[in-house]
Amino acid sequence: MTSRRQLLQASLTLGALQLFPGMSHAQAKRLVFATFTGSWEEAHRAVLVPAFKKATNNAEIILDPMLSVDQIAKVTAARNNPPIDVMLHDPGPALTAIDQGLVENYPVATSANYKDLIAEAQEETGPAIFFQVVGLTYNPDKIKTPPTSWKDLWKPEYKGRAGITNLNSTLGTGFLVEIAKMFGGSESNIEPGFKALNDLKPNLAAVAANPGALATLFQQGQVDISPGNFNAIQILKARGVPVEFVIPKEGAIAFKTTIHIVKNSPNRELAVALIEAAMSPDVQTKLMQSPYLVVPTNSKVKMDGEIAKVLAKDQADMKKRFVFQDWKKINEQRAQWIERFNREIKL
Amino acid sequence: MSTKKSLPVTAYPLWLASPLALAMLLFFITPLLMLGVVSFYSDAAMTQWGSVANWAKTLDGFGLTVLLDTLWLGVQVTALSLVLGFALAWSFLRMPARLQPLIIFIVMLPLLTSVVVRTFAWIVILGRQGIVNNFLMDLGLIEAPLKLLYTRLGLVVTLANVQLPLMVLPLITALQRIDMNLSDASASLGASEWQTFKKITVPLALPGVIAGCLLTFSAAITAFISQSLIGGGQMLFMPMYLYQQVSALSNFPFAAAISLTFLATVILCVSLFNMLGRLSRGYANG
Repeated sequence: MTSRRQLLQASLTLGALQLFPGMSHAQAKRLVFATFTGSWEEAHRAVLVPAFKKATNNAEIILDPMLSVDQIAKVTAARNNPPIDVMLHDPGPALTAIDQGLVENYPVATSANYKDLIAEAQEETGPAIFFQVVGLTYNPDKIKTPPTSWKDLWKPEYKGRAGITNLNSTLGTGFLVEIAKMFGGSESNIEPGFKALNDLKPNLAAVAANPGALATLFQQGQVDISPGNFNAIQILKARGVPVEFVIPKEGAIAFKTTIHIVKNSPNRELAVALIEAAMSPDVQTKLMQSPYLVVPTNSKVKMDGEIAKVLAKDQADMKKRFVFQDWKKINEQRAQWIERFNREIKL
Repeated sequence: MSTKKSLPVTAYPLWLASPLALAMLLFFITPLLMLGVVSFYSDAAMTQWGSVANWAKTLDGFGLTVLLDTLWLGVQVTALSLVLGFALAWSFLRMPARLQPLIIFIVMLPLLTSVVVRTFAWIVILGRQGIVNNFLMDLGLIEAPLKLLYTRLGLVVTLANVQLPLMVLPLITALQRIDMNLSDASASLGASEWQTFKKITVPLALPGVIAGCLLTFSAAITAFISQSLIGGGQMLFMPMYLYQQVSALSNFPFAAAISLTFLATVILCVSLFNMLGRLSRGYANG
């Protein structure tokens, strides 16, 4: 027979569990996905998470948005019991994570969606689930004829009105490589890029510390033309800032954003389920639409809306207009480039 | 009445500090020691230990320039804050008592807002279409907008404003403690106002000046957000140098060497200020 004391204890425990709902789930499996902060997190919460829950019979998932460097630091600090199951990276940090043995290869042979990704997105170390696209951004109130080439940044009429970022960001580094290519260089010959940057100095109103800071400078009229990230510009535009995005005739710089299973993750199956969902045409189609405007990597997604209008009308068009860079080569030299930028680019 | 000898009431047994000491040891000293160990790896992947390459690189010609430039920025900001802060503290003590709480509130206001918000406010003020430029153009003093944002001048002014409360509050306290009769006495003995200020007020306020300078200086040289948003990506100070190595290059060993160098320099500056502070107290009281 249950004594009154036992009954009391039981009800107190239940009450405590009611108070701290996290406790009862502490033992249950839950997937931790380190996405990017801001609009990426919003998009993933709204579209990817429901798709994942549907596919896994309501498995628990936590979005823990953080910078790539924090993801790497946290996983490195606890390799055997990583606090993150799935990482999301720009090309530079992705290579660092792979080199340091932090990620597990994706089981591509058993994947339903992997084979449908366009060739550039297929990476065994972790497939690309979206592209980030860098083109020219300008203020249409001040610049009446839209720019058509990266070279327009050097036009004398933009004296003191152009902006760039330093090499800390993927955008800044990718831009340097692109202008090096334009003036006869390449990933392994960056010299023409630095020369071009030096020539750009009279036009520079700002060397922003990061792409976010650069974007806000349009708002203040500090900058009228700059390289810019398609998604960042859409956010500004939605808030009524006068900015437009165009793909220069040399092509837009495209970065693969890759998703990785963390090595030694206890939730490997759930991680695979999340990545499958992220690659699926369904999720990518929804993410492509307004307000998310995430550039799809699955060839089965039919381009439409703003992305079809501004970036590429289909996958074939995308291949023509997007330029992918060799980040393996870039990563090897990035430290030297940053050092050189530190020394040479003073306004 | 007991004649038993007891400890003075202001002396507390040292062991009461042991929980704090333990916490400091665990969460502050240990990570610092680990940072020291990490700094001796020669490669970013941390496989080769026992090299001083990172230290050599931190203190080479370029690294040293960055360090000195960071300290120079601190000096510029502190000097400007001191001038503005002293004037403010001086007039604060001479204004009607009912206005004083209002002024204190205004002085404290920046401390109550996030540093990011304060810094963005300055972007709005200094931008090409910002308040300063629009005002000067409306007056017809300038033809085209001046470049204020992303310049050294803009950065110094912003930092001075952001750190002003740290300067003003110790100054007010120090100036408040000065007996007004001393100035009256000085005046009655025939000293001019300037002489009184130089010979009486400044020396007596010195402890406050030094405390304010110490706080402003250390806050200014470590102000990563303001430095990067107002100074921009082409100005390199120690916090940004450190951040760059970690965030863009994942080069933790070099970053560790930079941060320890910076830490040692800041500690050196702080002890220097402290020494001056002790000397000045002796001066003020003696």
